[in-house]
Amino acid sequence: MSSAYLPKLAKIVEVTEMTAIEKLFKLQFVNEEDAKSFTFKPGQFVEVNVPGVGESPISICKSPTRPGPLELLIRRIGRVTNAIHKLKPGDVVGIRGPFGNGFPMEKMKGYDVLLIAGGLGIAPLMSVLQYVIDRREDYGEVTLLYGVRSYQEALFRDMAIDLIKHPEKACLRTFLSYERDDPVFVSLMRDHPENVRKGVVTVLFECADPYIKPDKVCAVVCGPPIMYRFVLKELAKRNIPPNNIYITLERRMKCGIGKCGHCIVGGATAIRYICKDGPVFTYSDVLSVRGLV
Amino acid sequence: MLKENFKDFFETLKKLGEVHAPVRRGRLFSFTKVDSPGEVALNYNRTMLPPKKYFVKPFEEVLKIKVGKGYELIVEEPKSLVLLGLHACDINALRVLDSVYLDEPQDDYYQVRRAAAIVIGVSCEPDEYCFCKSMGTDYAWTGFDLFLHELGTSYLVRVGSSRGESIIESMSNIIGEPTKEDFIKLRDLELKRSRMFKKILNTSLLPDIVDSLHESEVWVVFSDKCVSCGSCNLVCPTCRCYDVTEKVELNLQEGVRVRRWDSCFIRSHALVAGGLNFRPTRLDRFRHRYNCKSSIDPRTNLPFCVGCGRCSAFCPAGIDHVNVLNAIWGLA
Ligand SMILES: Cc1cc2nc3c(=O)[nH]c(=O)nc-3n(C[C@H](O)[C@H](O)[C@H](O)COP(=O)(O)OP(=O)(O)OC[C@H]3O[C@@H](n4cnc5c(N)ncnc54)[C@H](O)[C@@H]3O)c2cc1C
Ligand code: SF4
Ligand code: SF4
Ligand code: FES
Repeated sequence: MSSAYLPKLAKIVEVTEMTAIEKLFKLQFVNEEDAKSFTFKPGQFVEVNVPGVGESPISICKSPTRPGPLELLIRRIGRVTNAIHKLKPGDVVGIRGPFGNGFPMEKMKGYDVLLIAGGLGIAPLMSVLQYVIDRREDYGEVTLLYGVRSYQEALFRDMAIDLIKHPEKACLRTFLSYERDDPVFVSLMRDHPENVRKGVVTVLFECADPYIKPDKVCAVVCGPPIMYRFVLKELAKRNIPPNNIYITLERRMKCGIGKCGHCIVGGATAIRYICKDGPVFTYSDVLSVRGLV
Repeated sequence: MLKENFKDFFETLKKLGEVHAPVRRGRLFSFTKVDSPGEVALNYNRTMLPPKKYFVKPFEEVLKIKVGKGYELIVEEPKSLVLLGLHACDINALRVLDSVYLDEPQDDYYQVRRAAAIVIGVSCEPDEYCFCKSMGTDYAWTGFDLFLHELGTSYLVRVGSSRGESIIESMSNIIGEPTKEDFIKLRDLELKRSRMFKKILNTSLLPDIVDSLHESEVWVVFSDKCVSCGSCNLVCPTCRCYDVTEKVELNLQEGVRVRRWDSCFIRSHALVAGGLNFRPTRLDRFRHRYNCKSSIDPRTNLPFCVGCGRCSAFCPAGIDHVNVLNAIWGLA
């Protein structure tokens, strides 16, 4: 019986330590059938099960344009994620999904793409980033604003540094902000003062402004909850139409399919399920649904 | 159908499945398995637990886990069930649950049980807590198989589905054709019922009023009285939040996932890892419930509150759903 409630077995094939608290897991479905039937869109998520411990919703950190195993970037922060971090290649977990609406990559065709990521927010945005790079001809200019706390805590730091040093390689512009000094980022800022700033991610708007064409751009934002208010304010200030600003949100989840009620937000005029109606919403939604950000 | 035929009606229902109906338990009523027509209390006001308990169990094992080897849904063999004596509000509440649980992707556990249940409604008279008329849920027009309208010495049987149609076809010996007098009686009784409602909630523009007066002091006054017990969630026929946990056996080879009714009044309902809580205060959680209940289900266009009055009747702090919202309207 196939059911949205039935996890499929997936084997961990590779584990990469990204920071002290984050690891990148590559997973392969145990059954050929499951591997074949698993298709997803950028911005969707899966429910990962450690048997006997529980499930956690985790974004797919990879674009469907790339073959190979499923990739999940997981921060160790509670019961389930701690248990996941103890797993090694060869261990088996359960996967349900993919769930959620994902980013409207079709609708974004022809637009410039402005990606704004804070910290772990890079995980869901990686799927979009890879997607637009792989379908480069479908999109206009691509710009990444990436805010991290420190070099030690920065995810995909080698990739970010490489993109800043060699922007031509991926045909995208990259801007990086960091909050705590360290030799690598300080020297990177010295060499690329127009791309690297100290501060929170919003300081990067100053650098990126020359490249933001409000009527031609779709903005895609993901980061910790407090980041949204500030970033959305900056985007609104630049007159980017609310329908062209996409954010992806996080709430407590148990089912991932609009049943358990945990992820419900909104006021009496509009109730939304983050898992099912989202996790991707537009700034228009933010303006019409109470408590989205 | 003459009331003296109810016995035969009941016996025929028993052949269709296990019959559950409201039964008196001291001062309260409860949906329970019944074996004889005498146990059935069709003249009840409300049960404490709504019929949802038959479709979403308060606690149930849902998934068998064979650690590292696979998973198996624990979906029970469908058991034919006849739910006899649902009020219109509870039937409409089932439709709200249907619109959530049967929306794609379907909830397998719910779907199997719902498909195997025959629903037979019964007419009622409002008591001091009922406000279904205000919510527009005092009339069930779909979501049931048969509906019994009490007309003094007989019942007028209204058919709500093709399954209901075939049930009464098999009972032509006890269910006769209704007469013109029956219809007049039905009209008069319905008019009388409609005039009996004492609890009245103004529902025009309710979602917008609740939303735009989000910062009203009224919420604070009532939420200060609330003890966050969650009773209002448990007794509500449209509340459907559930929590999921799992455990392994001592042999570490097998485990099971369980789900149980949850309550949005519990602190952890919107808590995420790392300690961020999206509804940190009791006020936030109190308002959340009223937001949810005052909104309209976009799939059925039914309100998420069907006005059954249970939450008011069973709140230990004496918080009355209609009084809260009337206070928002400035009527208190
Ligand atoms: C759509 C979505 C995408 C996400 N993507 C990622 C990702 O790519 N990488 C990553 O590291 N984290 C991601 N998260 C956050 C991640 O789900 C939580 O950190 C994780 O569930 C914490 O579980 P825990 O058992 O370790 O923590 P505990 O605090 O022990 O939580 C217990 C349970 O509560 C629920 N829960 C707690 N926090 C959250 C939360 N933030 N979101 C949803 N459910 C929660 C889960 O069911 C969890 O098992 C995402 C969350 C959502 C909603
Ligand atoms: S039943 Fe009353 S006291 Fe208990 S949570 Fe509901 S409103 Fe609060
Ligand atoms: S909110 Fe109260 S009155 Fe409305 S359906 Fe639920 S229990 Fe009944
Ligand atoms: S996670 Fe269960 S309803 Fe959204």
